[in-house]
Amino acid sequence: MTLLSVRDLHVHYLTSRGTVRAVDGADLDVPAGSIVGLVGESGCGKSTFGRALMGVLPSTARIAGGSIVFEGRDLVPLSERERRPLRWRRMAFVPQTAMNALDPVQRLRAQMLEVLCERGTLSQANALARAETLLRMVGLDPRVMHDYPHQFSGGMRQRASIALALALDPALVIADEPVTALDVIVQRQVLDVLRDLQRRLNLAMILVTHDMAVVAYACDRVAVMYAGQVVESGPVAAVLEAPFHPYTMGLSHAFPDLRDDAAVLVPIDGAPPSLLTPPPGCRFAERCPFAEPACRARPPPPVKVAPDHFAACWRTAAAVELRARAMQAETWTP
Amino acid sequence: MTVNPIPVIAGEALAKTFRLRHRAVPAVRGISLAVRAGEALGIVGESGCGKTTTARLLLRLEEPGAGRIRFLGEDITDRHGMALLHFRSRAQLVFQNPFDALNPRFTIRRSLTEPLRNFGIPREEHEARIDAVMRRVRLLPAVAWLDRRPHELSGGQLQRVVLARALLPGPRLIVADEPVSMLDVSVRAGILNLLRSARDELGLAAIYISHDLALIRYVCEHTAVMYLGRIVEQGQTAALISAPLHPYTKALIAAVPVPRVAQDRAALPILGSLGEAAEAEAGCAFRARCPFAMPRCAAETPELREAAPGRHVACHLVHDA
Repeated sequence: MTLLSVRDLHVHYLTSRGTVRAVDGADLDVPAGSIVGLVGESGCGKSTFGRALMGVLPSTARIAGGSIVFEGRDLVPLSERERRPLRWRRMAFVPQTAMNALDPVQRLRAQMLEVLCERGTLSQANALARAETLLRMVGLDPRVMHDYPHQFSGGMRQRASIALALALDPALVIADEPVTALDVIVQRQVLDVLRDLQRRLNLAMILVTHDMAVVAYACDRVAVMYAGQVVESGPVAAVLEAPFHPYTMGLSHAFPDLRDDAAVLVPIDGAPPSLLTPPPGCRFAERCPFAEPACRARPPPPVKVAPDHFAACWRTAAAVELRARAMQAETWTP
Repeated sequence: MTVNPIPVIAGEALAKTFRLRHRAVPAVRGISLAVRAGEALGIVGESGCGKTTTARLLLRLEEPGAGRIRFLGEDITDRHGMALLHFRSRAQLVFQNPFDALNPRFTIRRSLTEPLRNFGIPREEHEARIDAVMRRVRLLPAVAWLDRRPHELSGGQLQRVVLARALLPGPRLIVADEPVSMLDVSVRAGILNLLRSARDELGLAAIYISHDLALIRYVCEHTAVMYLGRIVEQGQTAALISAPLHPYTKALIAAVPVPRVAQDRAALPILGSLGEAAEAEAGCAFRARCPFAMPRCAAETPELREAAPGRHVACHLVHDA
C-alpha cells in the first residue's frame, strides 16, 4: 500500500535574481512500512523536497504545482490550519542537527512531556511512561530525561530527537541527513535504531542523504535526485546493481569503497545546471558522456525500466551497453 | 624515486594537554610517527580522538606539551616566529572547508599572490609559479579563473584553488585535514586524484586526516588508527583493513557502510561512544567499550608494539595470544 505518493511536485524560491526551481517536477512513492532514501548532491533540491512534504518550507518558497497524496489526501491545497494536526501526529521530522530539534534550556523530560501532553492527549503519568518507552526504543537509558541536551553526545542527541519525532506514533518520519554529523560507529548505531524501529512499528521513513552507502545499508528503496528532479527510483538492489540513468552509473565510480582494492576513482566532470535557468532538455546532458542531440532538445519523462524501477533518460533502451562503458574510466574523462 | 632515509616530518613522543577551567583534556598522549618523501600516511579516528591536534603539532601550529618534531632531520621543536618561516613555506596545510579558506573579497590571483609575497619569493617569479600550480590543479586556462572571486566558484573548484595555494611555495610536506568532506560526492574523486598525483610527481610527504577509512585507503599506503590520544594500530593500509588486529580497528571497519547491497548487518562489536581520557589514567583507553577487556587492561597501558611484520598494535590481547 502506498502511504505517500508525490506527483510532478514543483517548489520555487522567489529571489532577487529570479525564480529558483529547486524542485521541478519530482515524483516519489513511499510504501507503508518501508525506508526510502532520497539521495543527491548539495543543491539538488532534496532538502527542499523533504521540507515541502512536511509543510515547513521557508517563507521565500512556495509549492508551484503537483500533488502530495498522504494517506489518501492531497496535502498541497490544505491551509496551514488544516495541515497542523497532521504534523508530528501523522508525519514527523528529524533534522540534521539534533540540537535544532532540542531545546537547549529545557531538560529532555520537559520537552517530551510537552509533546506528549499538549500535542498528544496523554495525562502526565501516562506521558511519563510513554517517554520512558520511547527512550528505550531508541536505545537510551530513560534516566537521561533528567539531563539537558548539551550534556548528551552527538549520537545521544540524535537518538533523543528520533524519540521525540516518534512521540505521537506517526506513520511517516522524514529524516534530513540524520547521521551525516556523526562518527562512523555512532552513525551505524543510529541507522540500526532506525531500521529496528521501522520493523517493530511498521514505520515508513524518508531518509534524505548525500551518501549512497547509507542508502545501501539502511533503505529498501531509493530515489536519486539531480537538479530538482528524481532521475531514477526503485528498489535499492536494482538501482545499485543495474542502474539505468547515467548519473547513477557515474556516482558509483566516484567514491571509494572500503572493501574494494582501489581502482581509479572517476569524478563526474562539471557541475549541475543553474536552477534559475535550467536547460530545456535533460539536465544531466551537459555532464553525460552518452548524451545525444535529442537529449538536449526535450526533457526525458520517467519511464518504467523494470518492475517498480523508473528512470528519466532517453537512452534507457541502451542501458546494458552504457553500463559497460560507464565502468571504464576513459568514458568519464573529458 | 629513490627512498630518502631521512623522514620529511617526524614526531617523537608528542603530547598535548589542553587545560580548561575545570579540567585538563589530554588530546595527544605520546605519539610517534614519521613520513618520508613520496609517502602518504593516513590518520583515522573518531572526532575527539586527537587526530587534528596531532597534525597541528606536527605543523607547529600548536605548542607541544612534550616530545620533539623534526623536519628533514632538523629539530624544529623550539623554533618560533621568523625562525619558522622557512618551515612554514615547506609544510603546508590543505583546509577542510574550501568555502571559508579563501578571503571572499580577494580575487583568486590575490589569494595566490599573498603567500608568495609572505615567503619573499621575487615578484618576477610570481606569474610563472601561479601558472604552474593552476595547471597542476587543472584550472585552465589560468587567466579564466584568476580574476574571479570565491563566490563565483563551485566547492570543487574552490578546493582546487586551496590546493594550488598550498603547492605554491614548493612544500615538501602537505597535511590535508578532511580535504573532501565538504564536497559533493561526484567531485571528491577529482580532488583526491589531484592530491595523489601531486604527491607522486613532486615527491611530497603527505598526511591525511580523516574519519573515512575508504578515503584513506584510496590515498594512503600507511594508516595510523587513533583512539583517545594514542595510536592503537598502525600498518600498511590494505592489510590493516583486510585483517585488523585491534578490537577498535575491527569495530571501525565493521561500521563503515559500503555502497553495495549484500551487506553484513551483524551487530557491532563495540559499546557506547567515545569517552574522555583522564590525564593520568592508567590502562587501555578503549577498555570501557571493548568486548574483550580483561583485568590487565585496567592496570597497564598497552604499548604500541610490532605484532606482525610492519604492523604495530597496542593491545594486551594481541600480544598475549
